[in-house]
Amino acid sequence: MDNLILEIKELNHAYGESDIIIEDLSFNISIGERVSILGPSGCGKSTLLRLIAGLEKPNSGEIIKKAEVMTSHEIFIPPEKRNVGLVVQEKALFPHLTVYENICFGIRRNKDKNKIVSDLLELLKIDSLKNKHPHEISGGEQQRVALARSLAPTPDLLMLDEPFSALDEELRKTLYEEVSEVFSEKNSSILLVTHDAYEAEVMTDKQLRMENGKLI
Amino acid sequence: MQRFLNLKLNIISSWRLLPLAVLIIFTAPLVIVLSSLLGSYSDNWLHLYEFVLLDYVNSSLILVIGVAILVLIIGTVTAWTITNYNFIGKNIFEWALILPLSIPPYILAYTFTGLFDPYGDANNLIRYLFDLSNDYVFFPNVRSMYGAIIVFSFTLYPYVYLVSRSALINQSKSMKEASRLLGLNQVQVFYKLALPMIRPAVIAGVMLVIMETLSDFGAVDHFAIETFTTGIFRTWYGLYDLQTAMQLASLLLIIIGVFYLIEKNTRGGSIYTSNNSNFSPNLEEDLQGFKALVAFLICFIPIFIGFIIPIVELSFWAYEVNLGFFNDKFVSNAINTLSLSLGTGIICAGLALLINFSIRFKPNKLVEKLSSLLSLGYAVPGLILAVGMVQLMVYLDTFLFSGLDIVLTGSIFGLMIAYVIKTYALANSSIESGYQRISNSMDESSRLLGISGWRMLINIHSPLMKTALLTSVLLVMSDVVKELPATLILRPFNFETLAVSTYTYASEERMLQAAAPAIAIVIIGLIPIIFLSKMIRSSRPN
Repeated sequence: MDNLILEIKELNHAYGESDIIIEDLSFNISIGERVSILGPSGCGKSTLLRLIAGLEKPNSGEIIKKAEVMTSHEIFIPPEKRNVGLVVQEKALFPHLTVYENICFGIRRNKDKNKIVSDLLELLKIDSLKNKHPHEISGGEQQRVALARSLAPTPDLLMLDEPFSALDEELRKTLYEEVSEVFSEKNSSILLVTHDAYEAEVMTDKQLRMENGKLI
Repeated sequence: MQRFLNLKLNIISSWRLLPLAVLIIFTAPLVIVLSSLLGSYSDNWLHLYEFVLLDYVNSSLILVIGVAILVLIIGTVTAWTITNYNFIGKNIFEWALILPLSIPPYILAYTFTGLFDPYGDANNLIRYLFDLSNDYVFFPNVRSMYGAIIVFSFTLYPYVYLVSRSALINQSKSMKEASRLLGLNQVQVFYKLALPMIRPAVIAGVMLVIMETLSDFGAVDHFAIETFTTGIFRTWYGLYDLQTAMQLASLLLIIIGVFYLIEKNTRGGSIYTSNNSNFSPNLEEDLQGFKALVAFLICFIPIFIGFIIPIVELSFWAYEVNLGFFNDKFVSNAINTLSLSLGTGIICAGLALLINFSIRFKPNKLVEKLSSLLSLGYAVPGLILAVGMVQLMVYLDTFLFSGLDIVLTGSIFGLMIAYVIKTYALANSSIESGYQRISNSMDESSRLLGISGWRMLINIHSPLMKTALLTSVLLVMSDVVKELPATLILRPFNFETLAVSTYTYASEERMLQAAAPAIAIVIIGLIPIIFLSKMIRSSRPN
C-alpha cells in the first residue's frame, strides 16, 4: 500500500435526496501512475475531481492521499492543504497577473521560484510569453500556462478535467504528445477525466470507465 | 438680409445653439472661480497662506486618508461576504447595505453629536443604567477628526460596496478554486486574489468617496474641523472676502479634478474579469453557527451605524416634540424644497432628453463631448459652484440690468442653474439608458412615415421614455433635496429649504426641531435607493 498516491473508498455524493452523482466509488492510483476516467457528460467525473480536491464534501466515503486521510466522516482537509493540482477546461488564469506571475502564484515563498518557473516555461515552450497577460495569448498557450501553474508547486497528484476540449483537434493532438512528455519527465501522478477515448489512451497508462456515478 | 436670416435660422434648426448655451452655463461659474488665481491676492490670502492653509491641507488629508481606508475595508468586506456566502438575512443585507446612502453626512453628524455628546442620549442611558454620576462620560468625543471619519465612512461606504459587489459577481468560481488549490485559504483568497482583481473598480469607488468627503460642508462645519470647505465659507462669510474665498475654492477644485481624473481612468480599466466562454458563476457557501454570526455582524454593523441609529434617533427626537414640528414653517420649507427639486428635476430631464435626442437625431461629436462635459458637474462641490455662481450673477446684474436693483443675484435662477450643473449627470444616465432601449429602426420607420425632428421627439420618443424621464426627475429631486452648501449660499433672502432648516436648527443645537426636516430629507433620499436595490436584486447571479 506504500506505493499508493490516492485511495478512494466507497465514495458517495448526491445533491439533495435523489440526485445521486457518485455511488459507492472505489479505486486506487499508484505513485507515478497515469489514470484516466472515461465517461459521458454528466456521469459525475468532474464532481469526483472536485471531491478529491476538497472543493466539495462527499456524503460518505474516504479519500486518502499518501496514507493520510483527506476526507472522511470526521476529517476534512481544506483544498489549500491537500497539495493536489487541478487543471480545468476554463483554465482559470488570473487575468490581472502576467504569465510569469500566474505560474509563480503557488510558490511565492519558495526560494527557488525563479528557477522552477523558468524550467516550466522552457518545458512547456512558453518562455516567450512570460511577460504577457492571459488575454494576450491564445487558448492553447493559456492551457499550457494553466498546466505550468499547477505543476509549479509539484503536487502529489495532478488532476485534469477535460483540459483540452475547448481547443481545435490539431492543437489538441500536439498538446497530448508534449504534455505527456512533460508528465514523463516529471514522473507525475495523473488523474485525467475525459469523454475522449483517444485522449485517454494517449495520455494515460490505465483507463477506467464511469457511468451514472459508478465505475463499470 | 434674407441670406443672413436664412443662415441664422439654419444655425438654430441644426441644434447648435443648445450645446453652446450649455457650455456657457456649465463653464462660466468654474471659469470665474479658477480665474481668481490670476487676480490680485489680498492680505487675507497672505494671512490664510501663513497661518491656516497648511491646517486646511493637513485636516483634509487626514480626513480623506482615514475615510478612504475605512470605506475600503467596509465596502469590500461586506461585498465579499454578500457575494460568497449564504447566511441568515443575506437577501435583505444585499440591498440594505446601500441604505446609508440616503443619509447625508451632515445628518449623521447631527445625530451622532445628539447621541454621543457628553450629555447626549447614549451617555445619559449608560449613566442611568449603571447608576453613574452626572460627570461620567462613557463614549469618546465625536466632535473630532475620528468622529468625522466615522460619519463619512458609514454614509459613503456604499459607493465602494456597490462597485466591489458588481466586480466580485463577475469573478469566475474556478479562479478562486484554483487559488485554493495553489495554497491560499479563504481569507487569503480575498486579499491576495479577489481584491487585487477588483482593484480598478475599488479605486474608482474610493475616489468618489474622497470627492464627496472633500466637497462636504455640513458635517465638517458641525464637527468644527478646519477643511477647505469650512475655510472657504469662513473666508467669505467671516472675512467678507469673496476673491480670497474663490482662490481657496480654486485650490480645492484642482485637487478634486485630480481625483476625478484618477476615478475616470481607473474605471476605464476595471475589467479584470474572465472573458472566457466557459465562465463559471460564483457559488455561495452556506454558513452555519459562529461563521454565520460573523457574516451577519459584518453586514449588520454598517447598516446599524449608518442607517438604523440616525433613523431611530431622529424619530425619537421628532416624537419628543409631539408632532409640534408639523407647523407652518415646516410645511412652507417642504413646499419650497419640493418645488425647487421638482423644477430642477424637470429642467434636467428635459435638457438631457434634448441633448440625447440631438445626438441621436444628428450625430455630432461636439454635442456628445459637451454632454460628457456637463456630466462632470457632479464632481464639483456645491460650495464652489455657489461661489462661482454668485460672482456670475453679480456680473450679469451689472451688465444686463445696470439701471435696476439687483435682479439675478440671490434669486432662484442662480440656485437652479447650480443644481442643474450638479445633477445633470444623474438625469443623463437615466435618459441615455432609456434611449439604448429604443431601436434605431423605430426612428427609421417614423421618418419613412414622415415624422421627423420635434414631432419624432414629442410623438415617438417622449411617450417611450416615460419611465426614464420619471426616473431621472426623481433621481435629481432626491439629490437636490440633500444639497446644503449651494442652497445655503444661493437661496433668496428668507427662503428656506429642508436642508437649510436642518442645518440652522442643528447649528443652534436645537436637535429636536432639526429631526423632522432631516427625516423628510432621508425619506426623499430613499427614492434612488429603491431603484438601486431593484437593480441589485436583478443583478444576482443565476
